[in-house]
Amino acid sequence: MTLLWLFLPAALMFTASFFHRAIWARRLLPVSNLLVFVGVVQLFVHHKPFALWDGLLVADPLNTWLLLISSVVGVAVTLALTTLPRRVRILQQEIDRFYRFFALFWAGLILAMLANHMGLFWIGLELATLSTVYMIRTRDSVTTRRAAWNYMIVGTVAISLVFFGIILIYASAKPVLGDDAMHFDLLAHAVETIPSPLLFELGFAITLFGLLIKMGFVPTLLWLPNIERAAHYPVAALFAGILETAVMLGFFRFSDLALAVNATHTQWLVGVLALTTLTAVAALMWRAKDLMRLFALSGIEHMALVAFFWVTGGKFAALLHLTAHTFMKPALFLATGVMEQQGAYRLQGALAGFTTPSGRLFVVITGALMLGLIALPPSPMFFSELIGLSALFQGLLPLSATMLAMALLLPLSAVFYRFVQVWQLMRHDNPSTDIPKRVETPELAATLLLAASTALLLTPSVWRYLESLT
Amino acid sequence: MIDFLIGLYLASIVSLFFTATLARAFRWYGLNAITLGLIALTVGLVQQDTALLISGALTLVMKGVIIPAVLIRTARTFGLKPYLKPVLPLQHNMWLIPAILVGSWLLTEPLQAELGTHGHAVAISIATVLLSLTYMTQHRHVGAKIVGFLMLENGLFLLGTAATEGMPMLVELGVLFDLMLAVIIINLLLRPEVRP
Repeated sequence: MTLLWLFLPAALMFTASFFHRAIWARRLLPVSNLLVFVGVVQLFVHHKPFALWDGLLVADPLNTWLLLISSVVGVAVTLALTTLPRRVRILQQEIDRFYRFFALFWAGLILAMLANHMGLFWIGLELATLSTVYMIRTRDSVTTRRAAWNYMIVGTVAISLVFFGIILIYASAKPVLGDDAMHFDLLAHAVETIPSPLLFELGFAITLFGLLIKMGFVPTLLWLPNIERAAHYPVAALFAGILETAVMLGFFRFSDLALAVNATHTQWLVGVLALTTLTAVAALMWRAKDLMRLFALSGIEHMALVAFFWVTGGKFAALLHLTAHTFMKPALFLATGVMEQQGAYRLQGALAGFTTPSGRLFVVITGALMLGLIALPPSPMFFSELIGLSALFQGLLPLSATMLAMALLLPLSAVFYRFVQVWQLMRHDNPSTDIPKRVETPELAATLLLAASTALLLTPSVWRYLESLT
Repeated sequence: MIDFLIGLYLASIVSLFFTATLARAFRWYGLNAITLGLIALTVGLVQQDTALLISGALTLVMKGVIIPAVLIRTARTFGLKPYLKPVLPLQHNMWLIPAILVGSWLLTEPLQAELGTHGHAVAISIATVLLSLTYMTQHRHVGAKIVGFLMLENGLFLLGTAATEGMPMLVELGVLFDLMLAVIIINLLLRPEVRP
């Protein structure tokens, strides 16, 4: 019954997308997307861990939480999709196809997030990756077509590396667990008895590279900003708010296993990659000349911080940071659709020229989210970075912790300065058009929903819940 | 027998590098998949593993025959350029391919004893992944990139068959399903949108 609740909305959406001439189908598409949220909410009533499908899928507190926040983003994206035809040139047929692949995306994502089996996790992630290819393609331009191909190739190479690593991990654990060596929970109990830690670590390193490529880490920094820039803005919101969360959940699962096998190797490998990514991204942000690219690069920066905090003992900080990113970044990506000027995501005057009350409210929310993104208090990002840095000092020798903290703070300060500069450009420079800018009600509702969800992260009950997940 | 098939498998990848037409590149991929299916069938027969026999047979039919045929047809329908011209001069492959093969062998040498009878196939799998990535970077032609990606996927299947003596059936079927979806998406990406 629970499985039905989870997968039925995606099945409904997929079916309705084939009847694009029927009014009922057009109405059902957004409704079915909202139903995903209902399906996920009812997972919360079960005692955790709750096994589904013979234990191949398991709802534990961590994945249920991440699925819930992803489905909130799904609701916001649905709202934004209702006004998409008024903002961009898109055919009804393309919207229907968008929903068709959105349904496959949800099915893959739910499978990947609930998977207690490495193979199923991979299948779900591959399904979600492939389905987003066509979503990118819904924008009709040469750049977008090229971006869709690039994504198809980079995405599948990354996911193939993940699978390659999974096979090696499976081979390393098979002598102990037999055919069950792909189950995350069984592997977690038996990981210290694996006869070949070297094989496991090689597998983990390859899986890690695959997952990090998918999140745009060094050395493949530019593909994600390029794709988010080329696609319609709701696709960028889906990438930042949902797909990256699923990939990060995979990172949590695999790195927990690797930490149990050899904590020092794992911390070094992830730490070096995260810090290099952070530094490179900070440098690229200085050169970013449009909103979309800036937010996309900022997303990579946050993922690097989450990965760093997770392996250095700041699991609560990592979760808080990831949750805040999941709400704030899609809100800003959806806002780019409103701030866009004459077909370009120009920084200058992007937040100027909103004269109506709803427009002014939009400016306040977007400005607050932008400043919150760079950890200006009382943003949840401020607390997560503070707690993450404190965890670093608790787990390491003072000298090493200080050096690592400096290595983190230097690029973060550069990003902070750049964002304040950009915010001033957006707020006080002249817009490229004299036409008063307008905000549609669903767009404002989507931004408000995500901003309110971010504000809720500051409440003690959410903190207690997140602490219980670590 | 398996060593002979792995030799054929490797030969089909190397031949791909020296192929000048897209249709022939898809055929080399098909041949590569056929040898892969035969490897899985041989291992399945030796170990009396029904799941491996089924996935071997599916590989033989789907990847060896159906997918190359569909891709050749798709390339013709959507007018993809029939000739492949690598960015890197062809003669560099004379040292690049052996270097990748030897490098992969050296990388996996410490692990081969732990991987049992088909340990050397792990080196070939890693070499397949590296060779596929090299092939993809050598070509700007989208068809060549598709062949590279499909070859890479074959390397994963070889690793699953040789290093672990077969993955769980559920995973094999899932991988095959995802591959079919990838072919559908390739088809959709090539199809031009008709706007009023």
